[in-house]
Amino acid sequence: MSRQIDRRAFLRRGAAGAAALAVGPGLLAACSTEEPASDRKSGPGSSPRSGGTLRAAFVGGGASETLDFFNGPSALDLVRARAWHGTLGNLDPSGPDGVRYGVLKGIDIADDLSAYTLHVRPGVRFTDGSELTAADVLHSLSSLAATSKLPVYRLAAANFDLAHARAEGDLKVVLPTLRPIADGRMILCQGNFLVVKDGTKRFRKGMPSCGPFRLTEFTAGQGAAFERYDDHYGHVPHLDGLELRAIADSTARAGALTGGEIDFAHDLSPVTARTLGDNGNVELVPTKSPYLVGLSFQMNMKAKPFDDPRVREAFKLAVDRRAMVDTVFYGNAEVGNDLPSLGFPDYAEGLPQRAHDPERARALLKEAGAEGMKVTLTTGPETPGMVEMATLFVEDLKKAGVRASVRELPAGQLYADFPAYTALPLVGSYQMPVPALSTYQMSTAGGSPSAFGWKESATDTLVAKARAESDRAEARKLGTRAQRTRWEDGNQVLPVFKPNLNAQSKGVRGIRDDLFEQFPGFSQASLA
Amino acid sequence: MSLIVFVGRRLVGAAVLLVVLSAVIFAATAVLPGDAVSAVAGVDASEAQRAEVRAELGLDRPAAARYAAWAAGAVRGDLGHGFVGDRPVTDVLATRLPNSLLLAGLTLAVTAPLAALLGLWTGLRGGGADRFVSTAAQILAAVPEFVVAALLVAVLAVWLELLPRVSVIPLGGTPLDVPHALILPVLTLGAVGLAVATRLLRVSVADAAATPYCEAARLNGVRGVRLAVRHILPNAAGPAVHALALTTGALVGSAVVVENVFDYPGIGRELQLAVAARDIPMVQGIATVLAGVMLAVLLTGDICARLLGAREGHGR
Repeated sequence: MSRQIDRRAFLRRGAAGAAALAVGPGLLAACSTEEPASDRKSGPGSSPRSGGTLRAAFVGGGASETLDFFNGPSALDLVRARAWHGTLGNLDPSGPDGVRYGVLKGIDIADDLSAYTLHVRPGVRFTDGSELTAADVLHSLSSLAATSKLPVYRLAAANFDLAHARAEGDLKVVLPTLRPIADGRMILCQGNFLVVKDGTKRFRKGMPSCGPFRLTEFTAGQGAAFERYDDHYGHVPHLDGLELRAIADSTARAGALTGGEIDFAHDLSPVTARTLGDNGNVELVPTKSPYLVGLSFQMNMKAKPFDDPRVREAFKLAVDRRAMVDTVFYGNAEVGNDLPSLGFPDYAEGLPQRAHDPERARALLKEAGAEGMKVTLTTGPETPGMVEMATLFVEDLKKAGVRASVRELPAGQLYADFPAYTALPLVGSYQMPVPALSTYQMSTAGGSPSAFGWKESATDTLVAKARAESDRAEARKLGTRAQRTRWEDGNQVLPVFKPNLNAQSKGVRGIRDDLFEQFPGFSQASLA
Repeated sequence: MSLIVFVGRRLVGAAVLLVVLSAVIFAATAVLPGDAVSAVAGVDASEAQRAEVRAELGLDRPAAARYAAWAAGAVRGDLGHGFVGDRPVTDVLATRLPNSLLLAGLTLAVTAPLAALLGLWTGLRGGGADRFVSTAAQILAAVPEFVVAALLVAVLAVWLELLPRVSVIPLGGTPLDVPHALILPVLTLGAVGLAVATRLLRVSVADAAATPYCEAARLNGVRGVRLAVRHILPNAAGPAVHALALTTGALVGSAVVVENVFDYPGIGRELQLAVAARDIPMVQGIATVLAGVMLAVLLTGDICARLLGAREGHGR
């Protein structure tokens, strides 16, 4: 440790430092790890190899992409920011608190759950040489994240009083909660919370950052180029450089990968991914749980006959989940159990898997007097597989005696008129991977429009109690009980969780090690 | 009427039309179901959050007031900021429109001479060659763009490995930095335009060749290239010039299929994305500028056709 500080002090001394940087990135990479055992396994001469520039392609958001990730909704905006800025932390099931911290040393929770104390990791440096302090974390949280309109930051704003966060000294930030919660680490360390320097208002090339790479080039809608930041906290990346490209079309991304123009293609469509199956130079690397997108159907309890729990159950029993996984995703997906957030610590693992039982479904519909009912399922191509799933669901429903049909809207239209959407009787939808209980509180509890008529104050109370419970076993019990009511009586059919079907050239390694796979990080990646 | 008066009158007409079109575009965005709130605030935002975002974007004001504010800015060259990502619309136009103009221009540069050549050849020759080229052109004109693109990729990029599969343009560069990446997009767009223009030219060339005036020229010993270029082409080119002007103008904004397949950074896809996100300032800005480009191209086409016509008048 002391040796490292000496090295840094040396490096800061002007020209000599610059020269050392120029000649010895390999040397620095070899001696600058703070946690050599956990972060890097590379010894001299062993893999992964250092160096090279990795090129990765994503859907992108067109020319409206922005460096301001607090206001950039496209996946690429966040991936770019992850490469560029330090993070509070990422979810890590194997970590002691269920998270792996980034620029933090740890998060303490007050006994009465009224406040969280974020301990800043000492010695983290920005690219301008200044040290990261509590003020920087505070600015990122209370000025930037607090005013963001993106759902993920709103989740934090719904749980923490961001405006009243305060710094105590240089290395401590105290964050009051809005109500007692014990699962706040999971919200703060989802990977989205990145830290920029105090006072940052505009995001531009050359601004100080403390992520694994520094930005050297950015053209919205086209891509960004990075070079390794040799003073990155924790560990220095293996790669010399990184290029993040926007290639909107799935087939074009796959073509660029097989043509050798890129090394990593993000989120391919199931069909495209399948065509890569027999290509010897590339491999499919689908994201793993919890980084799976839930594909679901919402039944509107304000519309007859979905106010009848028997009809809702019949619809859940009618789905042939396995067939959806096999035909739509060629086996590259997981069967869902009508609850979101598969794989998150607060997901109700203990519930039995819902069976496929068209006979029982038919009987239930008959019992409810809804035999031969007519319903239109409205959906749209908002994410690959959505329309195909709806088509299969309608066939399953027909087998249970429902006169069902699909109405497919053009891309972008399904959610555009939200009040109209929430008034439909049966709709397609998808859920990003987010924790179960906090998300329930934000978007389902209290009869919110996106709950489609679900209003159960008993369940809402149970969820609040589960989140306010410090004892993990007890919290788990309460959380599972709350989710059981959703599972039994709820109005959501969630048959499939699909991964992001990523693909990479053979020999690319270490992307998964960076966690938060949905928005891949490259700080531990290496090329063949 | 002198050319200057003609151009002046056309310019005034185009300007008036542009204003009308911008209002029509705005009205169209207003009747689109839904708004940008879901794209900005996320689909699971609460009612209060939606209302807040709507107010922030200015969507709670009446449509007429929003149009007036937009028009006042547009006159000063400020097309506003996109709802998604908050980028100035003029920035997006400045980075994407030149690429689209380049693609359309190159396509025209390839199509026009080839169409003239093929049109003259088939129109004058007739017979087997004419039937072959005409049938081929007819088939080509009927095949959808994405099929042409897929065939070209399969043959030139996958099978023969002559060209890159997608147009990966160096960061901070322009498509001109990687000229070989332009070939497939230009070929795809050119194929359809060429087929249509060839068909049109062939018919008018055959008509012109049958006129007494050409007969006379031929009897006077004018033959071959000289007859074709001096006497037939000027008379036959009118309709084809208009057709080419129309397709070229349309290419600037509606090459979406080609932009997607080859990942070419044009303006068409931006417009498509903006419509999907209900990003009204972006839609409004891009669509209005594209309408302006189209009017300019049509005006150029008119002037060309008029010059050809004038030449015809004086040449006799």
